[in-house]
Amino acid sequence: MPIKYAKKISEKDNVATCVADISKGEIVTVKFDGAETQYTALSDIPFGHKIALQDIDKDGEVIKYGVSIGKASEAIPKGQWVHCHNCIDTYEVK
Amino acid sequence: MDFYGFPRPDGQVGARNFIALIPTTGCVNTVALQIEKLVDNTRAFCHTKGCLYPPGDTKRVTNTLINLANNPNVAGALLIGLGCEMVNFDEVMEGCKKSGKPIRGVQLHKLGGHLETVFEGAKLAAELVLEASKIRREKFGLDKLCFCTKCGSSDTTSGLSANLAVGEVCRLMTAAGGTFVQGEICDIMGGEYALKDLCVHKEDGDKIVGYVKDLYNRGLAVGADVRGDQVTTGNRDGGLTTLTEKAMGANAKGQECPIVGTIDYGNHVKCLGGRNIISTPGHGFENLTGGAAAGAQLILFTTGRGAPNGHPCIPAIKLCGNTKTVKNLSEHIDFAVDSIINEEETVAQAGERLFEFAIDVANGTLTKAEILKFTGMDILTYGPTL
Repeated sequence: MPIKYAKKISEKDNVATCVADISKGEIVTVKFDGAETQYTALSDIPFGHKIALQDIDKDGEVIKYGVSIGKASEAIPKGQWVHCHNCIDTYEVK
Repeated sequence: MDFYGFPRPDGQVGARNFIALIPTTGCVNTVALQIEKLVDNTRAFCHTKGCLYPPGDTKRVTNTLINLANNPNVAGALLIGLGCEMVNFDEVMEGCKKSGKPIRGVQLHKLGGHLETVFEGAKLAAELVLEASKIRREKFGLDKLCFCTKCGSSDTTSGLSANLAVGEVCRLMTAAGGTFVQGEICDIMGGEYALKDLCVHKEDGDKIVGYVKDLYNRGLAVGADVRGDQVTTGNRDGGLTTLTEKAMGANAKGQECPIVGTIDYGNHVKCLGGRNIISTPGHGFENLTGGAAAGAQLILFTTGRGAPNGHPCIPAIKLCGNTKTVKNLSEHIDFAVDSIINEEETVAQAGERLFEFAIDVANGTLTKAEILKFTGMDILTYGPTL
């Protein structure tokens, strides 16, 4: 079985983007700064979608590229798929 | 690091050395296209503008035409006018001449028709081409080089590979004294506050936020909330959750490099060094023109699914992080960075390779879009078309 990777972009990120289709229970590997970390997927996660790298509280910030890209609309456990069902857009034009 | 380019009278340095055929209105594009066929080393800058727009647009088109001629890749220019267009031919001529480069002009009404204009124009262009051919490449520092960026036909891989590699080039380029220009206000939307935080001067931060607000308001004026249109169903299916996430994937083209300036569309940056934000739209034809008018010698064009278009004024390096596209569209893709997605190379390694390749292109290596003459351009207007 080839290793299934997810890409973490920035040090502060609490999500990574899967670059393979992941099935529930599969191991996802994240390479960052020379170190490899393994996560167990808590649900199916399609190619291009995000996996939580740590537990995120309800209303907690979802961090990618080192910045908040939205808020958790429910508690998101580590290994969970992160998308529109549990992360909301808080952007407004000011 | 150095590069070899064509010196210009105003101190700029070209990565290419051709004669631009510039219509002051789209009505005389045919003249430009016919001269391009007759005279070697000329490039027609065809566009659809020049007439029947509000004054702000006429001003923007005028500025853009002048600064396209000011682009250092242009050795000299032939302006082609009709004689009744809203863009003032003499004003464009005067503006172009400030570059110190040879500029000539023909006008169809004055010359009595298309055939005579082609004949006169071709003769003038031939003289300009001969003079341009005497200019030799010389060695210059990267402080004379400016890259602009664009992403088109993007997919999930763009924000995870190609844009990150471009971000690495931005870091290397600006550290070496070079200039880097990032635009696409629609893609910045959602990430403008992150960019504001990177601004060295507060007024630039306010201006970037203003560019986004202006775009948002122009959308509202025609009954559209462009925020909603920006994250498409395809984006969502592909895994993008929020507008800020999409914007940050686009902003990755500049990493966290400090922003030292802002450029209004059509204006010229003149290699001031550092990372700059320009108010170009996402749409490719107008976008690349904005980068060329700003004075960039080449463009780093990231694509996921494969955007083939280049620009008559500046070489467009197509870089791609999608293995499938790299294989299927090899005749359009200049540089592959799917190695990042496939964990075969780090972003830093791919970025360094790309940086060297971009310098090669500045030195004269041709891009696929240039070889295939896959070109096109237009100039941004806000409208309405009257």
